[in-house]
Amino acid sequence: MFRIDRRFFQYFDWVLLVLLLCVSGMALMNLYSASYPPSPWGIPPFLKQCYLFLFGLMGILFILCFDYKILHFWNYPFYIFIIFLLVLVLVMGNSAGGAQRWINLGLFKLQPSEPAKLMLVVTLASYYSRKEQSDGYGVKEMVTPVLLTLLPFLLILKQPDLGTALMLGIIFVSMTVFAKVRWQTYGLGIILGSAAGVFAWFYLLRDYQKRRIETLLNPAKDPMGQGYQILQSKIAVGSGGVSGKGYLEGTQGHLHFLPERHTDFAFSVWGEEWGFAGSLFFLGTYFLMLFWGLYVAMTARDRFGVFLSFGVVMLIFWQAVINLLMILGFLPVVGIPLPLVSYGGSSLLTTLLGLGILMNVRMRRFQTGQNIEKMK
Amino acid sequence: MKWSGYKNLEELNEHDEADLDLLKRRITFAGLVIIFFAAIIFARLWFLQIHKGEEYRDRADNNRVRMRAIAAPRGNILDARGREMVTNRPSFNVVLVREDSNDVDKLLKKLASALDLEISSLWEKLREASSKPRHIPVRLLEDVDWETLAYVENHNQEFPGIRIETIPARVYHYKDLAAHAIGYLGEISKKELAARNSDIYTGGDLIGKMGLERLREADLRGEKGSSSSEVNARGFEQQLLKNIEPLPGNDIQLTIDAELQKVAEDLMDEGGKAGAVVAMEVKTGRMLVLASNPVLPLNQFVGGISHKNWNALLDNPKHPLINKVVQAMYPPGSTYKMITAMAGLSAGVIDADTVFYCPGHFKFGNRRYHCWKRTGHGAVNLKRAISESCDVYFYQVGLRVGVDRLAAMANKFGLGHKSGIELENEKAGLTPTKAWKQKRYSKKWQDGETLSVAIGQGFNLVTPLQICQMTATIANGGRQYLPQIIEKVTDPDGKTLERFKPVVMTELSKNERSFLEQIREGMEEVVEGRHGTARKVRIKGINIAGKTGTAQVVRLKQYKHLKEEDIPYKYRDHAWFTCYAPAEDPEIAVTVLVEHGLHGGSVAGPVARALLESYFAERLQKAAEEENAQEKAETTGQER
Repeated sequence: MFRIDRRFFQYFDWVLLVLLLCVSGMALMNLYSASYPPSPWGIPPFLKQCYLFLFGLMGILFILCFDYKILHFWNYPFYIFIIFLLVLVLVMGNSAGGAQRWINLGLFKLQPSEPAKLMLVVTLASYYSRKEQSDGYGVKEMVTPVLLTLLPFLLILKQPDLGTALMLGIIFVSMTVFAKVRWQTYGLGIILGSAAGVFAWFYLLRDYQKRRIETLLNPAKDPMGQGYQILQSKIAVGSGGVSGKGYLEGTQGHLHFLPERHTDFAFSVWGEEWGFAGSLFFLGTYFLMLFWGLYVAMTARDRFGVFLSFGVVMLIFWQAVINLLMILGFLPVVGIPLPLVSYGGSSLLTTLLGLGILMNVRMRRFQTGQNIEKMK
Repeated sequence: MKWSGYKNLEELNEHDEADLDLLKRRITFAGLVIIFFAAIIFARLWFLQIHKGEEYRDRADNNRVRMRAIAAPRGNILDARGREMVTNRPSFNVVLVREDSNDVDKLLKKLASALDLEISSLWEKLREASSKPRHIPVRLLEDVDWETLAYVENHNQEFPGIRIETIPARVYHYKDLAAHAIGYLGEISKKELAARNSDIYTGGDLIGKMGLERLREADLRGEKGSSSSEVNARGFEQQLLKNIEPLPGNDIQLTIDAELQKVAEDLMDEGGKAGAVVAMEVKTGRMLVLASNPVLPLNQFVGGISHKNWNALLDNPKHPLINKVVQAMYPPGSTYKMITAMAGLSAGVIDADTVFYCPGHFKFGNRRYHCWKRTGHGAVNLKRAISESCDVYFYQVGLRVGVDRLAAMANKFGLGHKSGIELENEKAGLTPTKAWKQKRYSKKWQDGETLSVAIGQGFNLVTPLQICQMTATIANGGRQYLPQIIEKVTDPDGKTLERFKPVVMTELSKNERSFLEQIREGMEEVVEGRHGTARKVRIKGINIAGKTGTAQVVRLKQYKHLKEEDIPYKYRDHAWFTCYAPAEDPEIAVTVLVEHGLHGGSVAGPVARALLESYFAERLQKAAEEENAQEKAETTGQER
């Protein structure tokens, strides 16, 4: 069905691979420090993440063998499968902290809301690339993508996982704006959106979710709760100073002052140990990777490729921005990981798959129909 | 393979090249959004890490570093020969760090049931500390025994927040010896804390509450050390960062000789006597013995005295809390007769050969003043008057000298004012004068009162230390030394900070000094003479000069006819005996007061005698050996 020829290497996206390896290398190194000293029982998170990373790289190699266009075909089966998983997790998922988010697969606990994000990117890319509208989408054409987004959105909100649910919304908005809609559609969307927001604040949001938003406005009011986490994170990053305290020398993380220091607050550890210089270098590389992703979108050969790569970049970008703004005390603690950096298999694999799609788009930038025939 | 259903796809894409370009142009806008957020993030990083970096670094350090003071071992207290009297041992307190406990209520209940304690007492301790920060340990139990210590240490997992604190505690190697002079420690009170330097003291510190522990607090306390440890978010100490060892306090060597002190206290303890024993080096002012009975139970004060024990001390009719050496005043009784004699001699109203006739009483006005010997002494001169303590003789002298000159002489020997010894709450005593009575009672002085004063009764009040000082002044030829109790103060490195130096307070005039010999002759007769009142005190080999005294407590007729043992304890007379030895070249002055002891010669005398025996033990033994050798030589010589 497929054959690896020399063009595979010729067109291979070496730049993205190098950037990915750089970011992941630093991220894994940081994870080692964040979960240091290693706990005596179980596989340490660092090692687990390493295995998953290698597994993810193999996954990238695997998907590179197919043209990304088959996603047009596999899109809806995927969509249905993910929705099935999201329902499954509500029915029989493992709960943690009052929320049902995981399905235990034995080796690995799958958090279906993570692949759901990527699945939404693919679905919307597929929809917008098929239904072209040069003067922007009207309200009628928007019904399908809104429904496609709303279904997983509500299922995730039900878990409840407000952060991930909002992430779906942000992806939808980014891609829709990118696809261009008419002004009246914007107007209706804003009206409906704010109405839903007000409704949600009074009827849907749980107390702890409201409190998160409130503590952001006044963190000192609640020093041991949400505000405490943000404060400790700021202390960690701030105390890093210009050059940091040195690798494995951070005190905020190692002495457990930092909450969730290997998951959502992993970058605090980096900031504490490597300081402003290290943070600049790391985030520089990280954003370079995102810019490269946009470049991939620019050079994609078709509309689907553009939407797909743009969606993947937005998926990573918004998660990163929200996570970083949270760590730096600008946003409430919403439970959004920093892709590639935060510990978590579902998020890591989803991100790697997304980057794999980017590479795929990049690799096949010169191919036309005939090329595809040849590839076959 | 065909892309079924999407045949037109490629055509569509190719067809809309222009549209694709439009789409791609929008990517540039997305790039600007990324740059915008990246800029915000970098600016924020700059603000936190560079602009506020110092501040956050301090906060991170405050987060993780916990400072704890380490109590310094107090200085040791040694006796005159360098024997350790008071040192330190580690003591273990059970403390609670409220911050580390998530449920204090449950924890205390568990602890109380495990250690079989009253939970209310634990709550009391916690209430007292309620205003302190939550990471400051609260002492629940002080100076716990090994069993409790082992239990708490072994079960520390079950009691989160409960810790063992090790602090130095006092060890009294001679039990309660010289307890009043040494004093005791207690937890610093809020009042004391407010009055003192907050750099040195914090709540929970031990501070001297009495005696030298209080007076020499600054020498003994040393300097606290500190340990900084790294703690994690739960407050558990992870590692020691910095440790500053505490600096022990200065050692204090007393002039008190523990062995002599022990002889004195043990003898006083026999039969439960209350009173004081004072011994002084006559030519230096060194205090060798400062005993006050009953003694203070010092060990009850370690780790805080209980209310029950404290009330028992307060209610004890023999007043163990009072240091009777300096804080109690008694009529001097016949020991005052030396003053009367000195006043008479220096005023010129008598000389050594002046004779008064004692018929057993002295008629003055329309009253009869009795001599203690109802049958009378007959004709008495000064020497006999002192040795046999003839009251009539001193009535005559007192009457001729007058009360004001008696008081003036008494003052020259240290009576009526504080000696200046380094002990607390010293009483000045009282040497009455005409002016004093006018001022105090707005009444004129009666000459009959002078008679009482002349034999040491009436308004006269002295402390045992004053009588000892008086005796020493007579013995050393008229020099009044400052009584001192500190031989040496050394810092932990062994450097001497302070060393004993005799201080002469006042000296008698040449004229006055010339009369002392006659007084001393009389005093020697008291012990060594055939009719002396203290013949029981004699020691073979050492000549002792002394004076007995009986201080009337009440002058109630109803007890006069009673047998001595039938008089209620609190109405019995106080017994005095004061002396110095050797009579020829005095070294030591000893004063014994037994409260309600009735007889100076028979009750107070033996205590002084035993003390002198102990003091001269070596010399007496040597003398005895020489004598034996001589006898042997004589007998062998005879055999030859």
